[in-house]
Amino acid sequence: MANEVFMPKLGASMESGTILQWFKEEGESISEGEMLFEVMTDKVNIEIEADSTGVLLKKLYEVNDEVPVNQVIAYIGQKTEDVEGLMKESLEDERDKTPNDNKEDHNLMPFKEREKIRATPAARKQARDYQIELNEIVGTGPRGRIQLDDVKEFVNKLEPDVKVTPLATKIAKAEQINLDEIKGSGVQGKIMSEDVRPQRSRVGEERREERIQMKGIRKVISQRMIESAFTAPHATITTEVDMSAIKEMRQELLPRIEEQIGERISYTEIIMKAVGLMLKKHRIINSSLQDDYIILHPNVNIGLAVAAPDGLVVPVIKECDQRGLTELTEVTKGVTRLARENKLNLDQMSGSTFTISNLGMYAIDAFSPIINQPESAILGVGRILEKPVGVAGTIVLRPMMALSLSFDHRIIDGAPAAAFLTELKETLEKPIVMLA
Amino acid sequence: MREITFQQAIRESMSQEMRENELVYLMGEDIGVYGGAFGVTNGMIGEFGKERIRDTPISEIGFTGAAVGSAITGMRPIVEIQFSDFLLVTIDQLVNQAAKMRYMFGGKGKVPMVLRTPNGSGLGFAAQHSQSLEAWLAHIPGLKVVQPSTPYDAKGLLKAAMDEDNTVVFFEHKMLYGMKGEVPEEAYSIPLGKADVKREGQDVTIIATSIMVQRSLEAAVQLESEGISCEVIDPRTLLPLDEETIIESVKKTGRAVVVHEAVKRGGFGGEIASVIQESEAFDYLDAPIQRLGGRFIPIPYNPELEKNSVPQVADIIEGVKATIYRS
Repeated sequence: MANEVFMPKLGASMESGTILQWFKEEGESISEGEMLFEVMTDKVNIEIEADSTGVLLKKLYEVNDEVPVNQVIAYIGQKTEDVEGLMKESLEDERDKTPNDNKEDHNLMPFKEREKIRATPAARKQARDYQIELNEIVGTGPRGRIQLDDVKEFVNKLEPDVKVTPLATKIAKAEQINLDEIKGSGVQGKIMSEDVRPQRSRVGEERREERIQMKGIRKVISQRMIESAFTAPHATITTEVDMSAIKEMRQELLPRIEEQIGERISYTEIIMKAVGLMLKKHRIINSSLQDDYIILHPNVNIGLAVAAPDGLVVPVIKECDQRGLTELTEVTKGVTRLARENKLNLDQMSGSTFTISNLGMYAIDAFSPIINQPESAILGVGRILEKPVGVAGTIVLRPMMALSLSFDHRIIDGAPAAAFLTELKETLEKPIVMLA
Repeated sequence: MREITFQQAIRESMSQEMRENELVYLMGEDIGVYGGAFGVTNGMIGEFGKERIRDTPISEIGFTGAAVGSAITGMRPIVEIQFSDFLLVTIDQLVNQAAKMRYMFGGKGKVPMVLRTPNGSGLGFAAQHSQSLEAWLAHIPGLKVVQPSTPYDAKGLLKAAMDEDNTVVFFEHKMLYGMKGEVPEEAYSIPLGKADVKREGQDVTIIATSIMVQRSLEAAVQLESEGISCEVIDPRTLLPLDEETIIESVKKTGRAVVVHEAVKRGGFGGEIASVIQESEAFDYLDAPIQRLGGRFIPIPYNPELEKNSVPQVADIIEGVKATIYRS
């Protein structure tokens, strides 16, 4: 009996997931615990393990399909097992569940579309190389079998032959110029010899743009940014902090903490600690808007914006106010590393109540960050730079750092935001008050 | 270069070797004064005498066993079996003894024996004298199986077979005996396990053995006139099999037709087809591999039916076209 593979429900709010990739092909064997597919929720991409051992008999959905949670998406079983019967069963189950649906072929459609395509190995390879779906191609072989020539013809139609003069062909070959990148100046875009001559190509060069599809995490970031920027009226306030005391404190703590846990404490953790304590006090900053209510969160869970290889991710460090600096350093370094390796799980990415975005490692002084919804504020941290400041009538150099607080003006007014930022500044300048 | 027949090429190869190496001798039925069932040993008794061209009683298992024994003890016998159908009488000596000895004695004993035998249909010898049983022997580890398709290959491959320290079964197609071709006068050796591209082409690879090589070449000429370019590969030896040449060719053409005279079911063509699809050539295949072989019937005595029971030029043309079908 084949085992069903379901779209997992990875969070209370998850209603559907998008399949990002399959790690196994149909017919490949898989053992329990091996990665089977990657799914994208509105928060995170997660690799899902197989929970049984056998052969991947059938994939019911393809990459980029969005599937409701708890829906069967694949079958794992023994090689000889027939999944058609099973599929019909689950299909009928579904029909029973949705009596209102049109009883006709409606439900059968997705399976019909996925009927096996006849294609030769060579045609399949070519289609793979060009990333073409076989179902778009008409086969001219016996019983509609797709052959190599069918794929080639299809490709040719997609990319019409580049018209090029014989001389231009010769020059291009000698100069190792890719004709696809050249825009012809002749009739109907025919590539003339002038177009490929080395000295000319540098002047009149028009390179083709590169197109990157918005998908996966990029798409998630895009949607969330739009949602935040165009629903929450942002206001940003900035202040400068004298980091002398923190700098000194960090120097003292650095060897102690490193000896204990092998990690080097950074300014980020110290700022997180201070922010945590301030949020406990300024509860309105640590809040969310839900319908007609402002929710004041009991816990201080700080999200930290991290540049992962595929884009921005925000791992969450829970209960920042409760943790000591050693523990904070250990936890923060841990999740940041996971984030950079794309290995965060959903739990490590949800539940934040406030976010810190630190661009201090760049030459950035201040900036206006976008709030990570549904939070109500975000703190942007700039670089620490020695600046002349006036102290008791003299000009001295002090390590200064800008803090930018963007807040949702629907919830927070200027005064409480300013109060929060001011007290944060004072705390950082006199860190001893954190002990008070 | 001078031209001689397939039959003469084999005789010349043996004679040249016997002049050089006194350990080589022949054994078989009526190979002496009579010159062998197909005249291959004609006149050899005059040069080498009846000690080295030994007529035997009609007991294939008896003299094959004697040859195995003499091979183990240092001689290099060549055994002629009148018809390859009679191989089945020798099979215990061949399969259980000759093929196993070297392995079972850890290399201390060897069986340098060549077993020559005519195979195939086309001359009206009927069901018991017309079979092609090479697949039976190609299934046995410890043997080598050779199937020449031209006089040139026959002479060179037989030389390699005589030089080989393992038992070699050497199939000579009856219909090829009279075929003429250019053959150098001096002795030369063609390594066992090296296929020969008999004709280069672009569209379809035909892998053919023995007489089917000639029919495939004929088919290729006709197909050329229709604009279909065929590459014809002759493995020459089934054991060892030159897989690389076959795979490289199929990677180039993307289509393969396997042709042999032996009955298609369980024939060696299935092995070749599997070799192709198990290899990296799989991703280049643009049509199912076509397998042509004899019908699953005993070879009929009636000449028309006999002809009809094994692949002919027209069948090969049809097989090739099946791989390039487009609607």
